[in-house]
Amino acid sequence: MSATAPQHLLKPDVLARLSNLDLVARAVVEGFLTGLHRSPFFGFSQEFAEYRAYNEGDDPRFVDWNVYARTERTYIKRYVGETNTHLVILLDSSASMGYGSGAVTKLQYAKFLAATLAYLASRQHDAVGLIVFDDEVREHRPPSTRVGQLHAVLHAIDRAEPGTGTDLKVPFERFQEFRRGRGLVAVISDFYCDPDALLKGVQPLAYQGQDVVLFQLLDPDELEPKMKESALLEDMETGETMEVSPIYMHSRYRERIRGHIDALKKAALRAGADHVLVNIAQPLDEALRSYLLFRQRRGLGA
Amino acid sequence: MTLLAPAFLAGLLAIGLPLWLHRLSSTNPNRRAFSSLMFLEPGEPRRVLAKKLQYLLLLACRIAVLVLLALVFAQPAWLRSPAAAADADGRLHVVVLDVSASMSHDARWSRARDAADDVIDGLSSGDLVQIVAAGRIAELVTEPTDDFAEARRALATIRPTAFRLDYGQLMRALDGVVRAASRPVMLHIVTDGQQTAMPARFAELAPSLPATIAIHGVADEDDANWAIASFGGSPLTGELTAEVQSFSSERERRTVRLEVNGETVAQVPVELDPNGSAIVEFDPLELAAGANRVTLSLEPRDDLEFDDTRYLSLKRPEPRRVLIVAGGRRANDDLFVRAALETIDTLSLDIERIGVGGLADRALADYAFVIVTDAGVLGASDAELLTEYVAGGGKVLAALGPRANALGTVPVTGHTLDPASASLGSRAFVSISGVDGSHPAMRGLDGLRSGKFTRYVGIVPAAEDDVLLELDTGAPLLVERRIGDGRVLVYASTLDREWNDLPVQPVFVPLVAGLANHMLGGAGFSSEAPLGSTLSVRALGMEGGQIFDPDGQRALGLGGGTSDVVLERVGFYEVQGGGRTEVVAVNPDPRESDLTSVDDGTLERWQGLGFEADGRVDVTTEAGEAVAVPLGAWLLWVLVAALLIETLVGNWHLRVRRGIAT
Repeated sequence: MSATAPQHLLKPDVLARLSNLDLVARAVVEGFLTGLHRSPFFGFSQEFAEYRAYNEGDDPRFVDWNVYARTERTYIKRYVGETNTHLVILLDSSASMGYGSGAVTKLQYAKFLAATLAYLASRQHDAVGLIVFDDEVREHRPPSTRVGQLHAVLHAIDRAEPGTGTDLKVPFERFQEFRRGRGLVAVISDFYCDPDALLKGVQPLAYQGQDVVLFQLLDPDELEPKMKESALLEDMETGETMEVSPIYMHSRYRERIRGHIDALKKAALRAGADHVLVNIAQPLDEALRSYLLFRQRRGLGA
Repeated sequence: MTLLAPAFLAGLLAIGLPLWLHRLSSTNPNRRAFSSLMFLEPGEPRRVLAKKLQYLLLLACRIAVLVLLALVFAQPAWLRSPAAAADADGRLHVVVLDVSASMSHDARWSRARDAADDVIDGLSSGDLVQIVAAGRIAELVTEPTDDFAEARRALATIRPTAFRLDYGQLMRALDGVVRAASRPVMLHIVTDGQQTAMPARFAELAPSLPATIAIHGVADEDDANWAIASFGGSPLTGELTAEVQSFSSERERRTVRLEVNGETVAQVPVELDPNGSAIVEFDPLELAAGANRVTLSLEPRDDLEFDDTRYLSLKRPEPRRVLIVAGGRRANDDLFVRAALETIDTLSLDIERIGVGGLADRALADYAFVIVTDAGVLGASDAELLTEYVAGGGKVLAALGPRANALGTVPVTGHTLDPASASLGSRAFVSISGVDGSHPAMRGLDGLRSGKFTRYVGIVPAAEDDVLLELDTGAPLLVERRIGDGRVLVYASTLDREWNDLPVQPVFVPLVAGLANHMLGGAGFSSEAPLGSTLSVRALGMEGGQIFDPDGQRALGLGGGTSDVVLERVGFYEVQGGGRTEVVAVNPDPRESDLTSVDDGTLERWQGLGFEADGRVDVTTEAGEAVAVPLGAWLLWVLVAALLIETLVGNWHLRVRRGIAT
């Protein structure tokens, strides 16, 4: 298999043609990993790392029964990258996430990304959880490694529809209510919010030992609008309108959105979180690569 | 301001389209959803204001383009009053010089020339002048010109004529001049204001189209004239009578000289009281065979010479025998026709009346023509006798009376009778609607429509027949058929009052005279004609003949394309043809002799009928009240400019919408 085919498959507009989110996640991850073997990330995935004694609470599925037959001791077979941690995905389904100037909206892209992360984590034998929110929590799946959890998460992701406004405080509070040890928190949103408010929401999680990565999804038209004439723009969340000129969108707006992104980066940095800006016109592998780098940096296996 | 094609204003409804589109555009601008207005700022107020202004300006331009387009098609025109137009472009001054016979008075003509010259002298640069000579017709001596010297030269060539002028007819003729004019017209009528030239209705003096009227009166109440008012005589007895009229406030003594065929036969002194008249009777003349040229002159001649001489042509007629076959149910059904024939003494008719059945005792060949008052009374033998008579060159006038209703065909001619075509329908009576004016018997008959026909007999004319008179219903009333060398005139109604009242109408005698004259073959030729009338050799029954004017010059030659000659000169015209020679005496209209002028008040009222005098609208058409100056060409330029502005504003508007710095 050539390297180009999977890359092509990761493009959002191609993924949008796949109706099944499970299939999307599988295709992305498999394609991504296939390409990954030819990358500096070689060794990740299912490579054997060590055996360790079975402890109560470990998943019996990972007991190496061959070793047990020979030694009558139960050992758990561990692989490189297997961290036995959990991943909680906070998926923003606010109205602004419904925006998209191309083949997919931000929410669609976010769903692809969330499903892919969930699938990837499941392959790592990590517990996967999900919180879908706008200005309130719409779906909540606490992290678990139970059989069927992945499908439940994927279905929950699939059901997400653009809602109303955005309130990041809500999912973080919900997360803290059900937090279970140290883990990963992936927040997928467009982050149309005050960076300081975001900082206040993320900081407590960081203090609790959670590793937070912020995937900021923006449409190319939000990053570099190509408006040709004055237009009356309507806020998708509030319904407010404003007539703006192309000149402003070509100059001042770009400065302001860049400033906002920088402010988010700084806020994330101060909170000990990672910030990944994702252009939804780009393939998903960039986001996945950022995720793996993030894991690697946090010592969760690579 | 007016519109020559106002229907195109309906195109203004198209204004609704840009209004609707702009309204749609303003209520539904380029609106779209966006993630968040968090980092957006409203457009600059100055740019928004500029956009709104440009938007309104663009809308105004588009509406203006549509309005202008509709107006261009509607052909607006600026109506300028003749005075305003005159101020801007000058006027057309039409100098109408009266050249009627009365203007040949030496003093009047001199004053008229001076008055016309004064009019031209008073014109300013920018004015145009046109010279019109008003006599029997309004002759355009010049076209409108700004060459006043040329106009004066043309004026010098004009001479008074012997014709009569009617002011009413003059104004109708001048309407054509006004209609053709491209600028306001001022009519300078140089005339003597002769009373007898006034029309029957004063309103006929009004121009139909707007024109200013200026009357330049050249009459002088001291202008005197003495004229031969009338001159007549009997060709049978040679007795002559003349009336001499004075149009002077002075007593005058004149001499009347009578010439016959160029020889003076009498000179009679006449005493004329102021504005009086005198009758002069001459001893009976011994007239020579054929036409005699009789001239009566008034001596000494006065300043108005045209009426000092009158001409008379006398031709001693041969007595002709005429037979009337009467005696239908009414014994006197020939009363009117016989009385009419007896009054025409110039025909010298010897009328004989017989009853039914008397034809067999008469030698019909001795009669010039036969009149049958009701063809229904004719027996078979009578019809046979008349047929033989006609075949031998005889002429018959056969009326169809009550007895003819029972016939299937007309005796002698064999015309089929068609009772169905004699229906009046719902009408109580019918009238004569068609007259063959070219037929000799129908010449100069006016008022035939005055007769009311309550009954008539339907005749089916043959293709070779001449239908001389026709009724409203289309049915023929008088039909002529040639049989052999003779001819039969079939009259489809009665010659008395039984079925119509034509016999009691004034036109009946001229009609009978014309028919009798026709049946006599022109023997009773009328030898007088007014100046300006038309002489037709066909009407005289002398087709192929020649006409010579008073100077002996051929006025109508052999083989000419026309058979008519307009009698434009006074004196004796000679007509030769068919082995005969006739002489026509042509005299001017005696009304021109009366130099009495209308009063100044009347002339002022006539002038007041002009457009500018009192803003009269009743005699001017709506479109003709003022000079219409088309604005279409100007509007086209404005439209082009509006389109350019619309393009520029539209482009600017788009730049503003796109936020491009301007």
